[in-house]
Amino acid sequence: MANQSPDRREMLAMLAKVAVIGQFPGFSRWACAGEHSHDQPSSPRPATYQPLFFQPSEYKTIDQLTELIIPKDDSPGAHDAGVVEFIDFMVAHDDELQYPFRAGLAWLNAFATEKYGADFSGLTPQEQEILLGKLAYRAQRSPVEVQGQEFFALVRKYTVFGYYTSRIGLEELDYPGLQIYSASPECPHKDDPEHKHLPAPRF
Amino acid sequence: MAKQIYDVIVIGTGAGGGMAIHALCEAGAKVCALNGSRRLDPRKDFRNHRQPYDMPFRGFGDPKKSKDYIGYMDNEYTEGIWEHEIAYTTAPGTVWTWRRCFAVGGKTNFWGRSSARFGDIDFKAASRDGYDVDWPVTYAEMAPYYSRVERMIGVASTVQNRPSNPDGEYLPPMNFRCIDRILESGSKKVGIPYLPDRIAQLTRNHAGHPACHYCGNCTEGCDTGSFFSTPWFFLPAAEKSGNLEIRTNALAKNILTDENGHASGVAYVDRTTKQEVEVYGRAVVVAASCVESARILLNSKSRHWPGGIANSSGQVGRNLCDHLYGTLARGFFPQLLGQPSFPDNVSSSTVAWMPRWQNLENPKQEKFIRGYSVYPDGGCSGFPYYADRLEGFGRNFKREIKRRYPTPVSFYIQAPTQRSDSNYVSIDPDVKDIFGIPAARITFEWGKNELLMWEHGKQACEDLLRASGAEYIGAGEIDIPGTSLHETGTCRMGNDPKHFVTNRFGQTHDVPNLYICDASVFPNCTDKTTTISILAFSLRTAEHLIENRKA
Repeated sequence: MANQSPDRREMLAMLAKVAVIGQFPGFSRWACAGEHSHDQPSSPRPATYQPLFFQPSEYKTIDQLTELIIPKDDSPGAHDAGVVEFIDFMVAHDDELQYPFRAGLAWLNAFATEKYGADFSGLTPQEQEILLGKLAYRAQRSPVEVQGQEFFALVRKYTVFGYYTSRIGLEELDYPGLQIYSASPECPHKDDPEHKHLPAPRF
Repeated sequence: MAKQIYDVIVIGTGAGGGMAIHALCEAGAKVCALNGSRRLDPRKDFRNHRQPYDMPFRGFGDPKKSKDYIGYMDNEYTEGIWEHEIAYTTAPGTVWTWRRCFAVGGKTNFWGRSSARFGDIDFKAASRDGYDVDWPVTYAEMAPYYSRVERMIGVASTVQNRPSNPDGEYLPPMNFRCIDRILESGSKKVGIPYLPDRIAQLTRNHAGHPACHYCGNCTEGCDTGSFFSTPWFFLPAAEKSGNLEIRTNALAKNILTDENGHASGVAYVDRTTKQEVEVYGRAVVVAASCVESARILLNSKSRHWPGGIANSSGQVGRNLCDHLYGTLARGFFPQLLGQPSFPDNVSSSTVAWMPRWQNLENPKQEKFIRGYSVYPDGGCSGFPYYADRLEGFGRNFKREIKRRYPTPVSFYIQAPTQRSDSNYVSIDPDVKDIFGIPAARITFEWGKNELLMWEHGKQACEDLLRASGAEYIGAGEIDIPGTSLHETGTCRMGNDPKHFVTNRFGQTHDVPNLYICDASVFPNCTDKTTTISILAFSLRTAEHLIENRKA
């Protein structure tokens, strides 16, 4: 920072002022899940999110579905990122999503009951994965389960939305934007323009 | 009380109006600027540094409102800034999306910043290929204005010696990212230029404005003023001069005329009171943007001007041109799979470009005339859109999203439409906006020439991807007409008053104290973006106006 011009220092001070932190869905879990950078004002965050649309049983199922779709491994999963909060918030505000989610959950429970004799949330994780596999993979799909396939695609879409717009998800990707760089970032592989000799993939 | 008469009334404060205001106030003219909406407050209105999780709807917007968003720039970050209240209509069969920013500064608050000069290959295109007319200016005449504009606003690029792209006075270029280096290598194999874009983004402190910090969210507005917009660059000094009064929420309705049919002022609707107000001036500059300017002229009917002011040629509103936009090709780089993320998304648009390479030596080499340019995009962006195309769920799905994060690449075409009688703006005979002003109606369709460019571009970009070692996924769609925001042609400039609305200086042939300072005066559309040329032509027009006042 020492060699920065007065202009830039002034600008950074201004940026710190405009940095805002919201009390928005998905936040209640971040206090324990992600580290916070020093320039954020410590505003109170809701300790728990109160669902606006889903019934408790539905909410639990959506939470499980999101975690099945983006599970915790070396990095936090959808549950830790509070994706269910985001989905509930979006569905509560979007009339066109309410029926597909509600009907889809009902379909999924009926499907689970037919295969394993219990609602989806009552199945073992292995059973849940097997059921979702039938909806997710082309090779396993059955034409009579189109409604379930569409529901799975919908939940997956909103899980991706919710996860990769959370702090946890952006950290998972190591999202490099919305940061301050002192010069326009430059390709570090100058002697390898075609990038055919890069270090072995990390992931 | 004697009525106040300003030297000049300027309608609009975007690129064209802002530059006219800047030049006129500097020359000592008393200016009243009419602006259709409010002033923005960068601290409140520019949310460009918010992370998606700082927004209630993560940037996707409240579904109740987001269904009415017009185009990608109208979003949760910019909510409340794009215009939704003023009606426009489309003729049967026409599809047109029309984003309008009526806030002070207009679209310069959010523009794409690509800033290539037009050249004689554009101004004299008709002489080369026989279609339509040459512009009534030469590059030699315009070059000094471009240079002055570049010095004012700061454009980062390199000298490239391209036949279709005159070089200018540039700040250091943006650096190439990994995807640029890879594509640059491929481009050499297929003979397509791949070069640093000309981008009005400050790569160092310039003219009192701080250098860019490369946060990558420019299109949500810049709260440090590190790219050109009139509220950051022009309007503060003009207001400080004491020569400028900006009236906000002043929606221009029609030009007023005196007993000779000359412009005497402007009638506008105050959006806060819904009352009609008149303001008087010795000259009027119309700079409301291409379609709005035509609407205002056509709505300015009087005894002298039954078909709309300055429209004895019948050409006001005709000849509407646009850029055909669309994604020519998508792919991904296997060589980047699993590599660490890299700051690719540092300008939210264009670090590099592929400037026109068609029909250069021989104007009729291709099946189409003229040419198009392409903007590449890719790398680590704000959201993994490619996740849609992956199958499955669980750990593999999550890992695949991460593995592919640095790899996406796509190409966006900027193809000019050619002048056509079938594309125009008229006044809807039945529909008025909520303030009672007759609405603009747009009649538009793509022409064969730009569709041939689209086909050509798809093949070229597929070839480039393969030559770069990328996997080709496929082509995207052509965007809805109007997407580019690069409308031109509704008040064309030309020497013959029978066929053109303004003379070569942007002064209307019919009404000597009425000037037009936006892209509506451009006789046609080129492969280049419009803003820097709006600035250059507006500066020239404003100085012509100043000369005329002295005379």
